Amino acid sequence: MKKGVPKILSLALVLVLLLTMASCAKKEKKAQDVVVNMFQLKVEIKDALDAYAAKYTAAHPGVTVKVETLGGGGDYGGALKAKAQSGQMPDIFQIEGRGGYNIWKEYIADLSAEPWVKDTDLAMKMDGKIVGFPVAIEGYGLAYNAEILQKAGVDPATLTTRAAYEKALKLLDSKKKELGIDAPVSMAASVAGGMWWVAAQHNLACYWGGGLAFDDTSIIDKALKGELDEERFNQYAKYLQLLYRYSDKKILLNGSYDDQVGAFAQGKTAFLHQGNWVDPNLKQLGVTFKIGYAPHAFLDTEEKGLYLFAPSWYCVNSKSQNADAAKAFLTAMATTPEGHDYMVNQAGMIPAFKSVTLKPSGQLSQALMEANARGGNYGVFFGMLPDGAGQNVFGPIFDLFAQNPDNIDQFIADMKKAVASLPNM
Amino acid sequence: MKQSRAVNILFVAPCVFAFIMVIIIPFFFGIYFSMTDWNGVSNSVHFVGFKNFKNLFSSPDFLYSFLITVAYSLINIVFVNVVSFILALLVTGKSRLRNFYRAGFFVPYLIGGIVLGYIWQFILNSILVAIGKSLSFEILQTSFLSRPNTVIWTMAAVNTWQYAGYIMLIYVASIQSIPSSLMEAADVDGANYFTRVFRILIPMMANAFTISLFLTLTTSFKQFDMNLTLTNGGPATRFLDSPVKASQLLAMNIFNTATANRMAEAQAKAVVLFVVLVIISLFQVSVNKKKEVEM
Repeated sequence: MKKGVPKILSLALVLVLLLTMASCAKKEKKAQDVVVNMFQLKVEIKDALDAYAAKYTAAHPGVTVKVETLGGGGDYGGALKAKAQSGQMPDIFQIEGRGGYNIWKEYIADLSAEPWVKDTDLAMKMDGKIVGFPVAIEGYGLAYNAEILQKAGVDPATLTTRAAYEKALKLLDSKKKELGIDAPVSMAASVAGGMWWVAAQHNLACYWGGGLAFDDTSIIDKALKGELDEERFNQYAKYLQLLYRYSDKKILLNGSYDDQVGAFAQGKTAFLHQGNWVDPNLKQLGVTFKIGYAPHAFLDTEEKGLYLFAPSWYCVNSKSQNADAAKAFLTAMATTPEGHDYMVNQAGMIPAFKSVTLKPSGQLSQALMEANARGGNYGVFFGMLPDGAGQNVFGPIFDLFAQNPDNIDQFIADMKKAVASLPNM
Repeated sequence: MKQSRAVNILFVAPCVFAFIMVIIIPFFFGIYFSMTDWNGVSNSVHFVGFKNFKNLFSSPDFLYSFLITVAYSLINIVFVNVVSFILALLVTGKSRLRNFYRAGFFVPYLIGGIVLGYIWQFILNSILVAIGKSLSFEILQTSFLSRPNTVIWTMAAVNTWQYAGYIMLIYVASIQSIPSSLMEAADVDGANYFTRVFRILIPMMANAFTISLFLTLTTSFKQFDMNLTLTNGGPATRFLDSPVKASQLLAMNIFNTATANRMAEAQAKAVVLFVVLVIISLFQVSVNKKKEVEM
């Protein structure tokens, strides 16, 4: 009898184990209700998007939209892979460029027939099909503090060539004390601060697209074949050198995003090298001075445009049974007044759709929208680079150049070598 | 007794099952994937043999990460063990507050590596620099984290601050297991404190050294969380005429490769890390084992 007890006990334990495993395996699904799972990476719009999804769910009986957000420092790509491997691929997910498309193309549905396609220039087009819904327009130039420039006697409208920048930066640098600034420019380039992308992604994008037609990819096409346009790059390197030399050294070499934006918001620098996504941060920091965008004019010739792009796109999971409901959700976002209200007023984004008439409240976003209406802007093409090229290859090169901005020849040689290695990546 | 054997197997089974599913099978999968061109998602996986491994040994960033990891491990092993041994001696002494000190030294270990990295980043990048500015100390004015030559020393110091308390506990337990009669007898014979420590304590504690060295060795080779938040691999430096990240240890190099969707390459790096770590730690344990004495 006594010997039987442990046996029964252990059998019972095994049974419990098996039962728990079995119950994990079959999660019951309700057939009538369609649940659209969305997995997105823009942390800053999480609350607005959650609210919009809830509203949409309430207005559409039978459809529930669930939004999950992972981004900022989180590894979105890794999490998405884990979901795909475990059979829980979301119905709507987000990609950030050609690299993402190549990885996920088996899962990406053709959206060419969607009604919003005609309404935008920034939909993602691959292999002749529309595959991505542009989340927003983002963009940048060199943001300036209009009050400081005025006090120093610099007219931002004249900042359209590298020579003009050189003169203005020198002037600002000589008047640091009376203007109360630490340095003329707030820029970050450090691997350590996680800010490699400001220099090695966004600033380098000037070389890829600056001064060219909006969809002219000739320079980056060349680079993907391993060639650097030296004459053009030399001009670019001189411009970057200029920015580096007049940047606050601590922020440049070590600063985080908060350090960089904070310095500008407190009036400690005249320029900020960031895009319109800093609008909410500036508002939070209580900025009241007037801000505008000057172009990144790196060429010897004049440049007046800003850099505009869709930083990411929503894709619909082609293998999902809920693909139609997912497409309908995106269409509603692009075509209904509620969707427009969400994008502009709630999330504070600049929508990529021309039919939207609402205006964002941020100063930089407004400047971008004006530039967009004016035309003559430049495309941003770093999304065409192989995955990891920015972070692992260009990032250290730009960091090293920031540590020693006099060593411009080394920088050019390093970049030449790095670009030559791109075709093998 | 046959019955109890069946029971044993039943009780062990869940653990073995989990171990096989979570460790053994992925391990062999990993070795397989390191010889393919898998990107992490695609279903088309092609076998490419040892191509990934061959590429590794010609890429400066991997070689640099490898060397810097070895260097970091050496520094870290020495720092952590020396500090924790001294702490162990202090808290097994006659101090009245020794239990308080024991707890105090152990507390940093309870802080997660991520949080710890951010705290120290703030201290090193902002507080020390601000102090340096106000006292006009030249040496403090650039952050210790932005100097390519010393950044791994700083990392080892931060890691020591965290990990020494944990290793200290192992040494404390070992010191307490040594009969006090031995030390007292030596004292009566006229051996001074240092002679007692070096001639009695350390030889008697050989098994504690085996385990402590093993733990510090493996944790420093696999160091990741603190590396990510404290330095993120930066600043950049030059190695074999290529710009590389001065403090990017192997685990972080693997992580950055994997997040760039180069899964197979990252897996190959991970296999290399595994093999090297196994060889080094087996060597370390076998050397240490020879020094152990039976009571």
